Amino acid sequence: MGKWRAWKYCAVILGVMMIFAFGCAKKQAVKSTDTAATESAPSSVSAVEKAPEGVVSETLKPEASAAETMSSRPAGTQMASAAEAAAGVSATEEKSSLFQDIHFDFDKSLIRDDAKPILASVSDYLKKNQGVKLLVEGHCDERGTSEYNMALGDRRAESARKYLVSLGVPAAVLSTVSFGEEKPLDPGHNEEAWAKNRRAHFVAK
Amino acid sequence: MRRLWFVILFAAGVVLFPAAGSAILYIDINSPGGRRMPIALPSFITVAGDPALAADIPKVLAADLGMTALFEVIPSEAYLEKVLPAHFAGKPLSFPDWKLIGAEAVVIGRVEARGDQVTVEMRLYDSTLGKLMAGRRYSGPARHYRLIGHKFANEVLYAFTGVRGIFDTEIAFSARPGKGRSKEVYVVGLDGQDPRPVTNNRSFNLFPRWSPDGNTLAYTSFRTGVPVVYLRNLRDGKERALVKFGNTKSPGCFSQGGESLYVSVSVNGNSDIYRVRVSDGAVEKAVEGWGIEVSPSLSPDGKKIAFVSNRSGSPQVYVRDLAASSGERRISHAGGYSSSPSWSPVGDRIAFTSQSAGNFSLYTVNADGSDQRLLASGDGDCTDPSYSPDGRYVVYSFQKKGYSELRIISADGRSGKRLYSGFSDAGSPAWSPRR
Repeated sequence: MGKWRAWKYCAVILGVMMIFAFGCAKKQAVKSTDTAATESAPSSVSAVEKAPEGVVSETLKPEASAAETMSSRPAGTQMASAAEAAAGVSATEEKSSLFQDIHFDFDKSLIRDDAKPILASVSDYLKKNQGVKLLVEGHCDERGTSEYNMALGDRRAESARKYLVSLGVPAAVLSTVSFGEEKPLDPGHNEEAWAKNRRAHFVAK
Repeated sequence: MRRLWFVILFAAGVVLFPAAGSAILYIDINSPGGRRMPIALPSFITVAGDPALAADIPKVLAADLGMTALFEVIPSEAYLEKVLPAHFAGKPLSFPDWKLIGAEAVVIGRVEARGDQVTVEMRLYDSTLGKLMAGRRYSGPARHYRLIGHKFANEVLYAFTGVRGIFDTEIAFSARPGKGRSKEVYVVGLDGQDPRPVTNNRSFNLFPRWSPDGNTLAYTSFRTGVPVVYLRNLRDGKERALVKFGNTKSPGCFSQGGESLYVSVSVNGNSDIYRVRVSDGAVEKAVEGWGIEVSPSLSPDGKKIAFVSNRSGSPQVYVRDLAASSGERRISHAGGYSSSPSWSPVGDRIAFTSQSAGNFSLYTVNADGSDQRLLASGDGDCTDPSYSPDGRYVVYSFQKKGYSELRIISADGRSGKRLYSGFSDAGSPAWSPRR
């Protein structure tokens, strides 16, 4: 086959294809208006006349009411047990503690010197009162981003936990949780409040 | 040989065809600051039902089109012609009357509400040509009337720019509903009206992230007392726990096809980024380091990931090529604490927050760290940016001494608006994919 013949051949096919494509397009457009017009008249909506040319119909699907409630949940939702749900609410509340909080510098998780006597007293208590388990909560101030602060709070709790282990507290009695910046002790928005909120808090279980 | 050509040409025909029907472009969406198209939005006609809808839907359209900075809505006092039911039954509008008041486009609408069902017909005319540019008739539950307005706003934008709108998308966020400390997840439309609760368990519900199909939200909840990442299907309300291992966990983003969730999880005090398969919870490590690694955001092609690490001593934004075994590039150079990257769904821009002179401001930067620009700042903290699915807007949280609101700004920083300000500590906004 010569080069010219090949090109002519291609041009003819391209032409045919374009006619075909336009033909299809026209047919589809008309079809979508028509079907849509009939679809748009659900039995609940009466007296909807046929959509005029150029007006396309669309039916919106209702969305399930997505919110859970405490009492009733949508079918299929994994129910938290009553005890779990209560634990979830309880997580937002400030727990009383036998110990003072220890505090941290901004964006830091190092144990400061002023925290060491407090950690020593926590360690002494746990050694004397075997069977007591301790939850170490890590907290941050409101500055910075909440995801980063969640991880930073975890580091603070972990620093305190490791320090207690280094003082001889059995690792098995200690657990940690971070609340990031979600649970400020002081609701203020100044350095005094922030300093109080950058803390590890100890809750006996 | 012949068969091969036929296949190639057929493919070409299919690819070329969509362009064949494209309209004249009236507005170049990429030249903001240009002339705004004057548009008239007369009150809709009520055929049956509550007339409030007939006034409310044009307001939704006005707010949407106003957000683009491409349209100017002509005040209704100027309108000369009263829209009649007959205009929906063949009677043409008096286009010279609309031209006279400067309206180059007119939207008319009729509302028919029966019970809790509503049918809304809207038509967009070019008043210079007297031509119907778009016509739609929507049927559905009356409570979705705003969605109907948003959908037609998309049609108006498309008719004049050739670009699909995002007005029917939504923003998920977390906020404190009352005076207590609990945080719940909400979803709100772009008009900021009536956020609907997704959670209501009075615990901490944080970091909502959309699946690519927009049907599922991943989020962290303390509802059982410890943090777990759940997947909530917004269509049927079904939910399941996906990530239970480790301590702290924050979902960052889904993979392109929604098969996996990138999530930061801390194990023994070290937070790294993991890829968790949605189908069975299988876990792979995606980014690790000795420091805190959080806040993953995937590139549009799924090949790179932006994240935050404090490996340099303070939090900074890095980009990593997921296929390469090494090579992480720091891209934040704003100075201090930099965090929460959001990769634009189109192109190679990354938005993030950075602290300078006390407050947090938003910046955008190329994925290679070049061309960093200020996007938003104020007398408070601008954090947690999230790009719209068309990459043209960014939603973010603004907080100042306990006051909080969600704001939207155009990606070029030229125009912005308040989205919502009803709750305290509103944060972690996430823009849904296209509907």
